[in-house]
Amino acid sequence: MTRTSPHYSAAALLRAALGRGDYWRPLWGKPTLESAYDVVVVGAGGHGLATAYHLARDHGIKRIAVLEKRLVGYGNVGRNTTIVRSNYLLPENHYFYEDSLRRWETLSRDLNFNVMYSPRGVVDLATSDDDMSTLARRGNALRLAGIDAVLLDRAGLARFVPALDLNLPRRFPIVGGLLQPRGGTVRHDAVAWGYARAAAALGVHIIEDCEVTGVRTAAGVATGVETTRGYVAANRIVFAVAGHTGAIGTLLGVSLPVETHLLQAMVTEPIKPLLSTVLIYMYADTDVYICQSDRGGLVMGGTLDGFPSYTREGQWSHLEQVVQSAVALLPQIGALRMLRQWAGTNDMTMDGSPLMDRLRWDNVFLNGGWCYGGFKGIPASGAAFAKFVASGTAPDLIKAYRLSRFATGHMLDERGAGPFPARQ
Amino acid sequence: MNIPCPFCGRRDVEEFQFRTLVPDPDAEAFARLYERVNRSDDSLEYWQHVSGCRAWLVIRRNPTTAEIHEVRVLGEAR
Repeated sequence: MTRTSPHYSAAALLRAALGRGDYWRPLWGKPTLESAYDVVVVGAGGHGLATAYHLARDHGIKRIAVLEKRLVGYGNVGRNTTIVRSNYLLPENHYFYEDSLRRWETLSRDLNFNVMYSPRGVVDLATSDDDMSTLARRGNALRLAGIDAVLLDRAGLARFVPALDLNLPRRFPIVGGLLQPRGGTVRHDAVAWGYARAAAALGVHIIEDCEVTGVRTAAGVATGVETTRGYVAANRIVFAVAGHTGAIGTLLGVSLPVETHLLQAMVTEPIKPLLSTVLIYMYADTDVYICQSDRGGLVMGGTLDGFPSYTREGQWSHLEQVVQSAVALLPQIGALRMLRQWAGTNDMTMDGSPLMDRLRWDNVFLNGGWCYGGFKGIPASGAAFAKFVASGTAPDLIKAYRLSRFATGHMLDERGAGPFPARQ
Repeated sequence: MNIPCPFCGRRDVEEFQFRTLVPDPDAEAFARLYERVNRSDDSLEYWQHVSGCRAWLVIRRNPTTAEIHEVRVLGEAR
């Protein structure tokens, strides 16, 4: 078996620089797939790896496998726009995402891997007095819950975001904004690698290129999963297959409250520091969010493409719309060239909030339906879901994300859009 | 992606509005509203040609390859 990487520290780096050893080793090994595990996690993305890591670290579960159809971090954990924040209006959501944001703050130390958490602030921009009232209401709700929120007027906004020209004549003039100072960005790939490395160090088997094709059951419980590498027995099965949650439901004979839509993101060529925060500009039924990566590229995204798709290829018309909004916001970037464009498949639920529950059988668990919120939720989701899987009881933090909420009328519809996922 | 509208011919997807996935005809009211038959290889959907003839269409397509297998006007027999 491959020896995986040692504990990282300044002293270790110095020793490695002076010595001739084999300091730089693979972050996780290539273990052989065994025939049985205590827990099989399907999907080596953010939520799957974080769940496996916490199951091993906090609950002492020894035999865990993470099965991945393609590669570690191939899916949405490597396709998002790296933004983390906890400024949701509804209590169930803001407490969950605040737990996550607190974990982001210490994640590099916890994983012994630099995930480059950058608390550069996230600013929602307002284009009318009505917008300002809505943002003030959200900010007040957050402050009552002990979460940071600062309402910025025009002068405050001009000081905080010098790149934004507020005097420019605009069809939707910017009148202020709501800032969450602790919000910001985290390097997304490092999150997948960091969790994979930390989980592997605790003995978790990460098996790439191994697709799960079905679940075998006996006497009303699941006994294991069928994979492209043969049958694997498991006491408990966790599905964390962002982007394919609905398809997995259909595979298992369950119709889930999920539609799968594409969300595009894109990045410009690198430029000198221009934007020191994350801007979110919503107006007239469209929106754009934009930030500058550490490499200098402006990373941006917008709304969904508008119809179900698993192609991971965005529509040109939508790409154009996002770029138009970004240039309307920051006209000085109009001459930049686009470096890359990509799309991720988003499992949009009927209320825009995630699903964390059992799935059909008592020992099968579903962590999915993350809509746009998946990346920022990873640390809280991993910790809380591991507790759920280990104990069999959902912790209070994720109880509201049960599947039965649609039948009982306890939807968490942050946007108030109703059961129309394309509009969430 | 282009969609062959039965009235207008092949038009860009931008002219069309996706409405919803076609519910299972045997499903109860709750399931019709909140649950979806979600498959990565075959999808039956309601669309409307909003920037064209405004007809409501039933489209069967493969959401992984973006191939369109069938387009018919809602309410008309196959």
